[in-house]
Amino acid sequence: MAEMQTAESGGGKKGKKVRSKKMSTRVDLTPMVDLGFLLITFFMLTTTLAKPQIMALVMPDKDIKEDQAEPVKESKVLTLLLGANDKVYWYEGITDAKLDSTDYSAEGMRKVILDKMEKVKAQWDLQDYEDFKTKEPRKGSFINVIIKPTKEARYKNLVDALDEMSITKVRYYVILDISKLEEDFIKNPAAGLKFNAEAQLEAATK
Amino acid sequence: MPKHKPKRGNPTIDMTAMCDVAFLLLTFFMLTAKAKPQETVIVDTPSSISETKLPDAGTLTILIAKDGKIFLDMAGQHTRKSLIDDVNSRFQMGLTEEEKIDFSNAGSFGVPRNRLKQWLDADNPERAKFPTDGIPVDTADINKNELADWIHNARLAQFRMKQDGKVKDEYVMVVKADKDTPYPAVQKVINTLVDINVNKFNLITSMESGPEKKGKEVPKTGE
Repeated sequence: MAEMQTAESGGGKKGKKVRSKKMSTRVDLTPMVDLGFLLITFFMLTTTLAKPQIMALVMPDKDIKEDQAEPVKESKVLTLLLGANDKVYWYEGITDAKLDSTDYSAEGMRKVILDKMEKVKAQWDLQDYEDFKTKEPRKGSFINVIIKPTKEARYKNLVDALDEMSITKVRYYVILDISKLEEDFIKNPAAGLKFNAEAQLEAATK
Repeated sequence: MPKHKPKRGNPTIDMTAMCDVAFLLLTFFMLTAKAKPQETVIVDTPSSISETKLPDAGTLTILIAKDGKIFLDMAGQHTRKSLIDDVNSRFQMGLTEEEKIDFSNAGSFGVPRNRLKQWLDADNPERAKFPTDGIPVDTADINKNELADWIHNARLAQFRMKQDGKVKDEYVMVVKADKDTPYPAVQKVINTLVDINVNKFNLITSMESGPEKKGKEVPKTGE
């Protein structure tokens, strides 16, 4: 500002310029204010943006008794196996399961989940539930998703899968350890997933 | 002509008041801003659509590096002091008072318990170069699991501090892992947490970037 003024008066009459120079004894604070506000902006942004996002995760209690666990209908279960190289293997139910693979994109995993929801909706119709926060009665398609990351999966894959759960509003999902049977299943999907009754229970509860 | 001159006057605004306000605010933000603690390991968190912010309460952070090494960080000097007092006396680590204070001011650490004394003795530039193996996690035997011991006792220490009125809240459990961490390392940590009855914890994620987020619109099905 001050510079502009001197330029203006400099362009004008020369005699006046000398006098104004004599008179101005105060310091121009404009650059100081500029600097001050720049720093304020910096500190404001860094303090509020520094807070990271979080994703809450609740794991099941380690010792749930068998009689406490509620049985789940097989036709509502969707199992996602998070494999190597950002691939997802999935199968429905337990008996005569067919393995398919997809990726983490919107057309991939999300479509699988939504398709399953549609299927469950067609078979079991929508079920009532209470909204967790507002306690409003609602209707929704209930599916149970089991997420089982393999040893080759990355942490990002798990977070992506959990993201997908919140996007598609899957109300019941759980992260479980992968079983030997399923690892073999990925290696050789043609052989099918042969759960016997015990392995089935073990795979479902472990 | 001489009449016009005084009328024009000086268009300069007095900046002193504005400057005062600016620097007052600057001082305020500088004092309230928390200094970013020194990170022993760089962790690049995966992105997610979650927009929940980390609560203000003290956090107990488990860092999992890209190579699966595990580090711990906890807030609160009082709690850390109480924790190291307890650990020192139980395992006879022979830490001096100075080392204990050093521990309570240090950031994240990732050394086995038997080398903690050496790590604390190292000065700051050396400490950055100190070979870190991460905190040992033995999922088979809970009594040998150092991570479980640290977390359990840190939470107890925080609880004692809460009863003394030195802190307001109990620890918020936070897991901060790199996006390329292999899952078995994460699994070890999660299993350890479940083993010591910490069933609820938070995963730190970063904001999803623009174009990807657009693709993640919430579909209407099922609702």
